[in-house]
Amino acid sequence: MRKGPPRLIVRTLAVTFSTLAVILLVVFVVLTVDVRGRVRAAETDKLRAGARLFSMLEARRQQDLAAVVSTLTENPTLKAALETYFAESRFSGLTQDQETALRRTVRIEVEKLASLTSANVIALLDTDDRVFTAAGPAQRAWPDGLRVTIAPMPGGSGQGVATVPGGAFRVTGAPLRLDQADIGTLLVGTSLDAAYAGQLAELAGASVVITVEGKPVASTLPPELLAAFTESAEGERRTLLGEEHAVRTLFDAGVARIYALNSIDAATRQATQSALLTLATIALGGIALAAIGSLWLARTLTGPIDRASRTIAAMTAARDFARPLEPTGSSRELDALTEAFNHLVDGLRAAEAESRTASIGAIRALAAALDARDWYTAGHSERVSTLSVAIGRQLQLGEAEIDVLRLGALLHDIGKIGVPDEVLRKPAKLTSEEFEYIKRHPALGARILRLVPFLAPHLPLVELHHERPDGRGYPFGLHAEQIPRTVAIVHVADAFDALTSARAYRPGRPAPEAMFELHRCKGAEFDPAIVDALDLALPGVAADLRHEPALRQLLGKATA
Amino acid sequence: MKQSAATLPLVVAALALAAAALSLQVPAAATQAGDAVIGGRVEIGVPITTRRALAPYPARSVSPDSLAPPSELRHVVVYLRDAPPQPGLAAMKAEIRQHGETFVPRVVALTRGSEVEFPNEDPFYHNVFSLSRAATFDLGRYPTGVRRRIRFDRPGLVKVFCQIHSHMSATVLVFDHPWFAVPDEAGRFELRGVPTGQREVTAWHERLGDTTIEVSVGAGRSVAADFVLPVPKQP
Repeated sequence: MRKGPPRLIVRTLAVTFSTLAVILLVVFVVLTVDVRGRVRAAETDKLRAGARLFSMLEARRQQDLAAVVSTLTENPTLKAALETYFAESRFSGLTQDQETALRRTVRIEVEKLASLTSANVIALLDTDDRVFTAAGPAQRAWPDGLRVTIAPMPGGSGQGVATVPGGAFRVTGAPLRLDQADIGTLLVGTSLDAAYAGQLAELAGASVVITVEGKPVASTLPPELLAAFTESAEGERRTLLGEEHAVRTLFDAGVARIYALNSIDAATRQATQSALLTLATIALGGIALAAIGSLWLARTLTGPIDRASRTIAAMTAARDFARPLEPTGSSRELDALTEAFNHLVDGLRAAEAESRTASIGAIRALAAALDARDWYTAGHSERVSTLSVAIGRQLQLGEAEIDVLRLGALLHDIGKIGVPDEVLRKPAKLTSEEFEYIKRHPALGARILRLVPFLAPHLPLVELHHERPDGRGYPFGLHAEQIPRTVAIVHVADAFDALTSARAYRPGRPAPEAMFELHRCKGAEFDPAIVDALDLALPGVAADLRHEPALRQLLGKATA
Repeated sequence: MKQSAATLPLVVAALALAAAALSLQVPAAATQAGDAVIGGRVEIGVPITTRRALAPYPARSVSPDSLAPPSELRHVVVYLRDAPPQPGLAAMKAEIRQHGETFVPRVVALTRGSEVEFPNEDPFYHNVFSLSRAATFDLGRYPTGVRRRIRFDRPGLVKVFCQIHSHMSATVLVFDHPWFAVPDEAGRFELRGVPTGQREVTAWHERLGDTTIEVSVGAGRSVAADFVLPVPKQP
């Protein structure tokens, strides 16, 4: 079975919602791209600013260290011992005792300094950059007499890199001055190793790479990233294994360099995620609002249509087209449709009226036929109709039922058209054979009326008005419960009139007598309730019987 | 034993005479042959301030004039190397003032037994000490106006420092012979009465190092020995 077309509200909703949703999605995508770009730029700036700040702080720290080292060199004993050592050994040579005494004096001073600082090594160099003495955890890498290579950092800040066979050290140094001349150098050194890299990394909040002669010697980067790191690339940004990093040179002494790296991608990722989360929430909220809005819009559009169709359905069900459909004012199209509908209804009603007229015409024709055939039966039909209506009103039947009663009772003996004259007008009692003819008239009447569809409600009154509650009626021998009430009414009215009317073979009986007869036979032959109702209604009817007969009215013979 | 006791003073006297004769012989020979003189000129190439590679702060300038090469000639001592010790040297008196946080003069050459006074001419405390083998001393801290002195009884190089001002230093060269000289403003010097023979003459400067020249000293002759002190290594 094919499904019907979708409901209008569903369609409207789909259209409006999908439009809004598409717009929202486009906006969302555009915003996302924009936000990503902005966040990246902001994070990069932040990283750069952070790196700059750290560089400045580091520079400051180194400056302070240089000041400290310079202060350390202001040691009279140190200078005196060193100068005496070299001057005298040059002039006349030193004795063993003297050499030992002087060396030890110097060494004690240097060891005191080593205990004050947290450096890896404190070394005293002579004017040829040879180690005179060294103290500190890394002193073994600085044996006495070793020639140390110092590469100063440009800018004259006292910083540089000292290379010894055991490794490279970042050093801050100051000369020992004696009367405008330098007699030696005091170095405070930090080994360029993993521990130092770790320290710097913690302070800077970045990854650190230390290179000596172009090769990385220590780093806090993971090995794969370190492998991708090269010194040659220029600029502040570098891509390692697809991740972009902000790079800053913390220290450059030519032979050794220290770099700080921050992953822009990692920083951006976090910030972007939170931004996107916010955007997504807003988007979802927007879509929800769009849904509600579309729903409301759809309702506003389809509501009046829906109501109109319901009203029409109700009108059709009740067959009540008396009142026109009210225009809702919600849209021009709908009002135009409403108007068109009202025109249609008017047209239909006109057509219906026409057909009713035609139908009335048909009934008139039938009535005329009956009237032409048998004047007596016509009068009888009128009276039965009046009586039936009175009984009906007494029993408080609805107007529709009374209409059916009125017309049905009027036509109840129409079948008598088919009964031969000699039988119908026979003055004497009928023979059983002749009676059989008479008994045909309900079925005949029904056959005639069946040709007129709109007379279908009146059919039972014509066909069954000779049925009896005890089942001894004709043509079907129905029982009480099978006989419709209107049919029973016509049966009683018919019987009453037959009793009170004059016949060729007997006079008419007075009403009370007729009533007595009816009461006597009620239950078996007549419905008791209807007989009682007739009894009650009779006084009011008597007057009516003398009024303009309904049939005459129908034929237009009397003036209304 | 009376015999040895009696001869002992004689032997001593003979020895003394011989020694005296010997000791006198040399100068006597010199004077006999006329004065053997070693003279010459000392030149210094460039200013001697050496800057180390790692020098975060500029030099603490005390008196810029003393850095100029002509004035550095004052800090050169020309002396006869490995000269035999001479007895009976005339003692000298010298003064090394503490002025403007500097020892002035910075270099003094003296004979053995000479005295040096260290007056404090600065308005704050000073100190004078030395760790040198030839004279280990500490004159203590003393205020302005006070003068302390020390006598140098042994030959050698004595470096003098101040415990309070670590950049101060002075050098006292103590000789046990008279053949040493400090060049004048023009760089000229003279060593008179030098013993003959192959001699070595050294021009000493505390920073520029020593330059030694071999000369052949003949009796009564004048020998020229010019020195150009080495240009220091540039940093």
